[in-house]
Amino acid sequence: MATILYHGEPNGPSLAVLAAMAETGADTALDIECHAMDLLGGKRHTLPGVTKPLARDMGVEGEGPVLVIDGEAMTESVFLAQFFDEVGDGTSLQPDDAYAHWEMMMWCRQITERLSPAASLLGNLATSHQRLEALSEDAFAAQVEPIVSADLKVRWDLVRDGEADDAQLKDCEAKVMQAVERCEKQLADGREWLMGALTIADFETFAWLVGMESIVPEAFKGKSETQAWMKRVKARPSVQAALARATSEAPERSWAPGPEINRWG
Amino acid sequence: MAEVTLYHWEPNANSGKPMLALMEKGVPFDSHYIDMLNFDQHRPEYLAINPQGTIPAMTHGDKVLVESTAIMEYVNECFEGPDLMPADARDRWRVRWWMKFMDQWLAPSFSMIGWSVFIGPVVRQRDPAELEAAIERIPMPERRVSWRKAIYGTFSEAEIAESQRRVAMGIAMLEKELGKREWLGSDSYSLADINGFNLAYAIPLSQPELSNDELTPNLLRWLRAIYARKAVKDCWALGRTDMVKRVTILEQERI
Repeated sequence: MATILYHGEPNGPSLAVLAAMAETGADTALDIECHAMDLLGGKRHTLPGVTKPLARDMGVEGEGPVLVIDGEAMTESVFLAQFFDEVGDGTSLQPDDAYAHWEMMMWCRQITERLSPAASLLGNLATSHQRLEALSEDAFAAQVEPIVSADLKVRWDLVRDGEADDAQLKDCEAKVMQAVERCEKQLADGREWLMGALTIADFETFAWLVGMESIVPEAFKGKSETQAWMKRVKARPSVQAALARATSEAPERSWAPGPEINRWG
Repeated sequence: MAEVTLYHWEPNANSGKPMLALMEKGVPFDSHYIDMLNFDQHRPEYLAINPQGTIPAMTHGDKVLVESTAIMEYVNECFEGPDLMPADARDRWRVRWWMKFMDQWLAPSFSMIGWSVFIGPVVRQRDPAELEAAIERIPMPERRVSWRKAIYGTFSEAEIAESQRRVAMGIAMLEKELGKREWLGSDSYSLADINGFNLAYAIPLSQPELSNDELTPNLLRWLRAIYARKAVKDCWALGRTDMVKRVTILEQERI
């Protein structure tokens, strides 16, 4: 049975995973076929050949890429990147040292728990709302019907309604600004990559930030280290290969409902 | 003095995860009990160690580590002892997936119900001014928001209903998954089991209508198998409150 990576436009988690795949050589090691899917068209929930859909249906990340091996749907961009790294050709994107590894995982958690939900909400409201709003009630209902996770469905409704209160939007913008500030501080010692050596953290962070440049431009103002680092990440052949899979002119403006905002406030 | 010091509350939820991981690995550590309900985690002496004021935290030599699941991964990688991650890369992915699912989706719902029903009402009996001062000492603004909700029980009915929905669904998911394999996500005892036990050990007591030998035999088999481990007995012996004594329900032959 073929190993297939179903991915959205190269932005957010799809970009992180496509880049990590190319960087580690996992596409060759696992003989992966890449299939583009229309995430905002709900295609992720009707993929063929998924016999063990749990991680696809209940993943925290929301509408991210799905790697299907032996019918098992594998999700969550950081863990897919780790999986690729551990089966790849030996190019390591994870530090060997346990403490450095902890630092990288903590960095990635900051991104996936704080930046991603915020960027996802802002990105979806800015770019996905119109397309969903244009669907008839019946068409939208039919599209979200196969979604198993009730809370993910709520996030689809929210994007279609396009309503978020000002305080929430301000908080999301603040989270984006904080993420950029963290990058700027981390890069202040002149290091090339966030953790020193190139790691999963670079791809995960870049993939969630690149779409924010046009939506929260003030976050990047005067952040020269971060801007230079983003250029370096973007220039990686792995990222270029991922971006070359885009079917739209501006993949960084392609979003679908993502992780939820922390329920505890 | 041990090279490792763990600052923890009860062997329960997040504190219990690194406690049990250290014990399973056979790593000696200085246990430093932080009384969470007395807000010891926001006092200056603890903030000097972990400025975020979250528990657990672990020091290893001059290194300070936070976040329970990430600490467990560090412990597993850094020290000799039984490997608590499976050898196969796909199994490792599954273990990580389950830990994230529990940490971010399921545990907050258990926690919301726990605070709403049991812990909040007890804490609210304290002097209001003292509680307010304790909240003001919390360094991270968003944690202040969370603690306010927890202490004053300001969850909406909809929030509690959503948490109850997730708890019921999570229990059903665990039961199904544990019907496939002996352990959670893989065929060997791993960090996912340590994580899951800390989350789920009291389920048969707190959610008897959702979890018992008849409805969730695999979940009960799994909880009892973990409870039988020496490290778990040693770990739960460090508990100081009645809350963690709930674990003894697993000694019953039939629940």
